[in-house]
Amino acid sequence: MTGSSRSLRVASGPATAHQDDPTSVVASDEPVPASHIVHDGEISSPGPDGIRSVEVIVDGWRFVLSVEDEARASLRERATRAGAAAGGAGGALEIRAIIPGRIASVAVTPGESVDAGQTLLAVEAMKMQNELRAPRGGTVMRVPAAVGATVEVGDVLVILE
Amino acid sequence: MSLRKDIAPPFSRILIANRGEIALRVTRTCRDLGVEVIAVYSDADAHAAHVQAADEAVRLGAAPAGESYLLADRIIDAALATGAEAIHPGYGFLSERASFARAVVAAGLVFIGPPADAIDALGDKLAARRTAAAADVPVVPGTFDPAPIDRADAIDEIAAAADAIGFPLLVKAAAGGGGRGMRRVASVSDLPSALVAASNEARAAFGDGAVYLEREVRPARHIEVQLLGDSSGDVIALGERDCSVQRRHQKLVEETPAPGLTTLERRELHGMAVRAARAAGLSNASTAEFLFDRERRFWFLEVNARLQVEHGVTELVTDLDLVAEQLWIATGRPLSDRARAAAERALAPTRHAIEVRLAAEDPSRDFAPAPGRVGKWAMPAGPGVRVDTAIRPGERVPPEYDPMIAKVMTVAGDRRAAIAALRRALDEVEVTGIQTTLPFDRALMRDERFLDDDGEGLSTDWVAEHWDGAADRRRALDVAVIAAARSADIAGRVSLRKDDPPISPWRAAARAAAIDRRPR
Repeated sequence: MTGSSRSLRVASGPATAHQDDPTSVVASDEPVPASHIVHDGEISSPGPDGIRSVEVIVDGWRFVLSVEDEARASLRERATRAGAAAGGAGGALEIRAIIPGRIASVAVTPGESVDAGQTLLAVEAMKMQNELRAPRGGTVMRVPAAVGATVEVGDVLVILE
Repeated sequence: MSLRKDIAPPFSRILIANRGEIALRVTRTCRDLGVEVIAVYSDADAHAAHVQAADEAVRLGAAPAGESYLLADRIIDAALATGAEAIHPGYGFLSERASFARAVVAAGLVFIGPPADAIDALGDKLAARRTAAAADVPVVPGTFDPAPIDRADAIDEIAAAADAIGFPLLVKAAAGGGGRGMRRVASVSDLPSALVAASNEARAAFGDGAVYLEREVRPARHIEVQLLGDSSGDVIALGERDCSVQRRHQKLVEETPAPGLTTLERRELHGMAVRAARAAGLSNASTAEFLFDRERRFWFLEVNARLQVEHGVTELVTDLDLVAEQLWIATGRPLSDRARAAAERALAPTRHAIEVRLAAEDPSRDFAPAPGRVGKWAMPAGPGVRVDTAIRPGERVPPEYDPMIAKVMTVAGDRRAAIAALRRALDEVEVTGIQTTLPFDRALMRDERFLDDDGEGLSTDWVAEHWDGAADRRRALDVAVIAAARSADIAGRVSLRKDDPPISPWRAAARAAAIDRRPR
């Protein structure tokens, strides 16, 4: 019905990604294990890069995943790597909002060095203050987040060097 | 207009000073009784279900609660302008502000809830502790007056009180609730910062920065008693609820009766709750909360002088409509025979009800808020199932308010059967667009330790001790990856004709897989 099997690369999209989510390569006709409750959400049409964004709910967990052809993905990756090498991009870490809300406070300023686990800022949502901590040590390069600003999931809040 | 010609409604119209599922739930009872409803709303809720269900609706202001649902004067003006005779406050927002109850009455309206003096005596936790202790109800050891945090020289005094109570202890907001304005303090060195943090949070959330100290009773179960009283001072207990499974001191699951209580313990508990309520001059609906420790002792925590979020499970086992009882009591009627009979039955329960609060939160990230726009929204139905919600497909869950979006309840002859029904009901839930607490709820209803009927496994530490959200999510991700691949692949290759019925690519894939698996 779906023709021959393809290799697809699936990764967590920024809306639901956790830091240690793996990128997987799966066959397009791999059977879904039974005994899970799976619901499909939105499926985007493929972008110019051939990547689709797919919302899937498994046992109540919501994932927005990007799906692309593995062959195409590795081609793109090689191109990006070559570009990055040429441009000499460093190891900056963008810390993004994992919840939407309002910036309640910002505890760091550019140039400041922070330790892993140090509080960077607090986002207020649903009557609670949610502190965002540094996933690793480093120097604060930029703080795009300003107190009082409204942020959406995936917005860059702090950039660590 | 009421279809019932035999009984005049308790009021001709009332204003409901709330939003979301509770506003809708109160509206439904009003419809049943033939009472017209005035809704109020913020800009975030202009098209909300509770507004559309009302006979009339009044805009309060901008989305933040401080500019809308907490504007007491504007709400009272709205009631007067629309000819409402009474105000039902729901829970949260203004429901436990004595000043609001007083202002409602001063405006010539009826406040559907306990009298302002009782809210003062019970709604404020410190006053409640004093009242309960005076009524010979054991209270959690701690202080009975606000900690003098505004005096720079008082920290030694507070530290001495803390030492007497013992560490770890809790700094709690006198006006608090739901864990806001509360800090756990492990040692005396953490005390000053905890006092300041709790006080600031309390002032922001409740407009009152008073805090006090209380021993941390742990491990413990949270068991509370549903109370109903009339204006003559008569108070009855309509059974207890176990609400031990919590996160951040906010309840996730509630059930009635509390598993494993002996008849003697149940009678003792109901008696203590009624004593505290009578001493405080309570009427209408309220709930006395207790901790139940491993030595099987009850410790009075506080009284919520309002209808509780989890009142529905009590309604399921008692067959009462607590909102209807509230309305009749507010007109000055004595406790109904129905309610009195239910109170008798509550001492020897023959049915069991259980509820989960579905919240827009991520249970793999310590239940962090996850507001957003809901896509699909399908709630369960069937035997023994009740769902209270104001969410509809495509609805936005605003970041300004509480993350709770639905209460899913079941009732059956005993606990096992009620849990089995809830397990089935939760499997019917379909929500896309936002993360909810559903994975936790589903896992809990399959956890043998929770299923144990003696209640020994229940504790307010359940989530911390037994829930590994990240691991549960990771298992689901492995499945999601496969489902996504199939979904995207099929969507990419199959083009439906325009007149084909809408078909879900995932379901198509599942169907194909199911057909493939059939033996040939």
